Amino acid sequence: MRVLIKVPLSWVREHVDVTATAAELAQALHMSGTEVARVEHVGDAWEQVWVGRIAALAPHPNADKLTLATVEYGAGRVKTVVTGATNLTVGAVVPYAASGARLRDGHAPAGGEPVWITLEPRKLRGVQSEGMVCSALELGLGADHDGILVLDPGLPVGAPLADVLGETILHLELQPNRPDCLGVRGIAGEVSALYRLPLRATALEPISFGTLDPSLLSVRIEDAAACPRFTAAYLEDVRIGPSPRWLQERLTAAGMRPIDIVVDVTNYVMLELGQPLHAYDATKLRGRMLVARRAQSGETLRTLDDAERTLDPGVLVIADAERPLGLAGILGGEDSEIVPTTTTVALEAASFEPRGIGTTAAALGLQSSSGSAAARRFAWSLSTALPPVALARAVGLLREHAGARLVGAIDVDPSGASERRAAVTLRFSDVLRVLGVAIPDAEITDALLRLGFTVLVSGERLTVTAPAIRTDIAIAEDVVEEVARIVGYDRIPTRSPSGTLPVHEAHPVEEFRERARDVLVECGLQEIVSASLIDPAWLALLTADGTPIAPSPLVVRNPTSTDRSVLRTTLRASILDAARRNLKHRPGVALFEIAPIYLPRHGQLPDERPMCAILLAGAAGPVIAGETYLGAGRAFDLHDIQGVLDALGRTLRISGQGEPEAGPGLHPGRSRAIRSDGRIVLLFGQLDPRVALRWDLPENTFLMEFDVRMVHADVGAGGAAVPPRFPEAYRDVACVVEDKILYGDLVREIRASQKSGLEQVALLDLYRGPQVGPGKKSFAVRLTFRSAEGTLTDADLDRALSRIAGRLRHALGAEIR
Amino acid sequence: MANVTDLMIMREQALAAVQGAPDVAELEAVRVRWLGRSGLLTAALRSVAALPIEERRAFGAAANQVKADLELALDQGSARVRGAATLAQFASEQADLSLPPRRLRLGRLHPISRTIREVSRILATMGFETVEGPEVESDYYNFEALNIPRGHPARDKFNTLWVSDPLGDDPERPVLLRTHTSPMQIRVMESRRPPIRVCVPGRCYRFEATDATHESVFFQYEGLAIDEQLSMADLKGVLYSFARQLFGGERKVKFRPDYFPFTEPSAEIAFDCFVCNGGGRTNSGACRTCGGSGWIEAAGCGMVHPAALRRVGYDPERHQGFAFGGGIERLAMLLTGTPDIRLFQTNDLRFLETA
Repeated sequence: MRVLIKVPLSWVREHVDVTATAAELAQALHMSGTEVARVEHVGDAWEQVWVGRIAALAPHPNADKLTLATVEYGAGRVKTVVTGATNLTVGAVVPYAASGARLRDGHAPAGGEPVWITLEPRKLRGVQSEGMVCSALELGLGADHDGILVLDPGLPVGAPLADVLGETILHLELQPNRPDCLGVRGIAGEVSALYRLPLRATALEPISFGTLDPSLLSVRIEDAAACPRFTAAYLEDVRIGPSPRWLQERLTAAGMRPIDIVVDVTNYVMLELGQPLHAYDATKLRGRMLVARRAQSGETLRTLDDAERTLDPGVLVIADAERPLGLAGILGGEDSEIVPTTTTVALEAASFEPRGIGTTAAALGLQSSSGSAAARRFAWSLSTALPPVALARAVGLLREHAGARLVGAIDVDPSGASERRAAVTLRFSDVLRVLGVAIPDAEITDALLRLGFTVLVSGERLTVTAPAIRTDIAIAEDVVEEVARIVGYDRIPTRSPSGTLPVHEAHPVEEFRERARDVLVECGLQEIVSASLIDPAWLALLTADGTPIAPSPLVVRNPTSTDRSVLRTTLRASILDAARRNLKHRPGVALFEIAPIYLPRHGQLPDERPMCAILLAGAAGPVIAGETYLGAGRAFDLHDIQGVLDALGRTLRISGQGEPEAGPGLHPGRSRAIRSDGRIVLLFGQLDPRVALRWDLPENTFLMEFDVRMVHADVGAGGAAVPPRFPEAYRDVACVVEDKILYGDLVREIRASQKSGLEQVALLDLYRGPQVGPGKKSFAVRLTFRSAEGTLTDADLDRALSRIAGRLRHALGAEIR
Repeated sequence: MANVTDLMIMREQALAAVQGAPDVAELEAVRVRWLGRSGLLTAALRSVAALPIEERRAFGAAANQVKADLELALDQGSARVRGAATLAQFASEQADLSLPPRRLRLGRLHPISRTIREVSRILATMGFETVEGPEVESDYYNFEALNIPRGHPARDKFNTLWVSDPLGDDPERPVLLRTHTSPMQIRVMESRRPPIRVCVPGRCYRFEATDATHESVFFQYEGLAIDEQLSMADLKGVLYSFARQLFGGERKVKFRPDYFPFTEPSAEIAFDCFVCNGGGRTNSGACRTCGGSGWIEAAGCGMVHPAALRRVGYDPERHQGFAFGGGIERLAMLLTGTPDIRLFQTNDLRFLETA
């Protein structure tokens, strides 16, 4: 999951006085490790949009629900617009769009792509509207289209709106090692380091802790490992109401929706410093206490997302004396929620152990971008130094903008975690060792100082301490990376690695697999790569009666979809599917795939067995559908798949063993399977036509599958032949045999009777019919002989032939013709 | 009674007739007329017996010479008229070479296979041995051993697909589909001692909504080198050489900091976009291939984290090294100009035959 945050540039500039342009800043941040996904310029599209003031309001003469608003927007510029808005008052400062302005269509369906329109003068119920006053939505400033955006009355009337409300927003993609960058202040720290500019001190009035009367509010941590620090403030006289406009604008620009002053301040401080806070209506805390503890069995909580949750025992909650109030660091509860009548507020800023938050949020489905913003932050190692700072900042804002009075504050830090700041010791030479480039010692020290590190140098050693908010610096390599980031990765040279080259091991299976790929391509087959996750329903479609041809597969517990929910235990379904889909737009296919199948082995990782599947189906030619002028073309047949096997066998020396049998899922009379150690390692033949029908495949679909690991064992050394010196001689033989005798039997017997000199047996013809009689067939074969010693004579051939004929008569009952 | 002068006249006449014969039939007529059984020259030769004895020799020699000349001329004439006939026939045998050819069925490797081979080949030139590892992996190798323990926020980046054995699971040893090829860093280091240089291509999986640049099943490659003196400079050298060999010298390369829990320091390498040439825009607006940034992230990389080295029993004081990894499809898209990653697993031959 990507973590994207939106950082208004004006907010950054408030913390560091940088004059660089947005583009320069984005580039500098990006190249130093803070990924800038996008730079958004709000208001760039605003032309002809001005800061206006409502000079007069009058009812529309022809419509009850419309109003005529007279807007002035600068010296002598006055226009009258027709509006349906009901939130306008005379004197209100509002955005005024003159005709020609480009605005977002406020009436386009919500949630869809924004529709932009160019404003033109038009009559509304008989009155000319000269431009319009705009909602936030129409300006692209947020989702609000309930009324006209009422602006800060202090804005200069007549100024272009872009000058006063325009904003540049950096969209940053953060990495979890940098929780400090979750706050604008952290980003400002990066800018300060990159541009050698001081980080502005915050005008923060520190609050004194330990001043809180326990009868008003007490805080207890029951599990210091899960909650190492808990700070709280007790505020009275809080006026709940809308936040000041600038604060609302900041929140909106950063992607949050303004609610009320208390919620907005907690969010504002979270965006500024990275530390989430939570506010309670203090009068609703039973026993006047906040406790960080583990949930007990059976406890329930109604959370702010309107869900009634039964809590798993062990989940960290914030509770009062009697009941859980919220999921610590993740989500508050309804019972203690701030309401418009709230005046007494307990404000929490605490530290939580990140793994626990991450695990709990994930279990509740709240870790995503639509889940809990607080949980996403706490799941990263936020600094335990932050809570008191964030609390003070929030208290300051509530004092100023909500009339709050701080009664007291408390800081519970049982393990003293906040005081520990790990120092890292390293040598200057570590920079050279890791980066491969010598950076001068002074420059190393300077880079770290720019980042706000404290650096103690003692000869060749330096001891560095990162700023408290940097929780990611633990070892020398971390420090080296900081130096590299600041001096720039461009400083690292490129070099060819030296050193001894390791001796490579042999990989016979992989080597065979790659040679098989080449041979199959040479045979004219197209390689495919299909998803290794398949639909489990496919596995029941591979035989006529649904009997599986492969073991039950491993199941994905959280699949993206059903059709990718199990790990395939056969390649067959995938290749049948690929053939089916391609045959919709071509007459024939010749495909192969080489990939592992995943065979479960209970108690250990599965056997990932490399398999090869080959499929021929439909027309062997023509290659282009309909191109038949050179001949009608022919369909693939059984001999084609035999041919592929033969090609593999000739090139790679595949040889089978054991008694032939039919292949599962294949036509029983037209397939062969070969076993090794009891399991099938190679099969080929015609797909069972009933299965072909199920997959919308033609009847002439032919398959071969083999186990790459088992077959490779027969790979021999190359058997390159030297062209012979003496000529060959041949004799043709015709023999009639019983129909059950196979051609293979014939060849076997011929070869058995002729140990040397017989170079080749070629089948001239196979005949069944009246000339040989019923139940019989005739093979005509051409036998090619050659001797390495000399030219063969007729007498030699006659001797060989008579030996062969005798053997065929004797072994096969053949009649030689 | 013919004399030698008559022979000479006959010779001229006969040769002229041969010369003038337009075709095979006329030539044959000429041959019959002069050399046939009752031909004029044959008759003249026969008449030699009637000559006085002292003239016979000269006349005979002359007559044989004339016959030889005439036979030669007839042969040449024959070749001449046959040649003309052949040419005339050839001229009538015009083939339409724009007709479709007898098409051969061509096989082709899948672009993913080709890219994996190319990656392995290039890295082999720098001493990297290609090894492979399991796709179904334990939580330990995929996460724990790579400094990503349970609850670590970096796990959020690896949206993991978890595997269940139909015969029952061991909750203590969760099994998953590897989210990257990096588990092989640990497996290789466990089973070998430095120096190590390996390249690991293979399938990976993430729980991910698919779009033009994301697939839930995809391929990655990983490189790992461990030795006594390796640094970021060597890493950069290997990756730059890799990029140049793969894409040619013109491709621009960008090297910037990044974060991976199992490398420190970490970096990202990107190439300028091959569609918009780094400009970020095409004629139809922002470049879709690079998302308008002008750069295509090709690999994450870094120095192997000392904690990972220690975990496999290496001494980080003595051995260190680097690792890098990236998407095979990303490279295949660049190499073949494929605009959408999903095409690689459609098995649509209309794509595969051209990619």
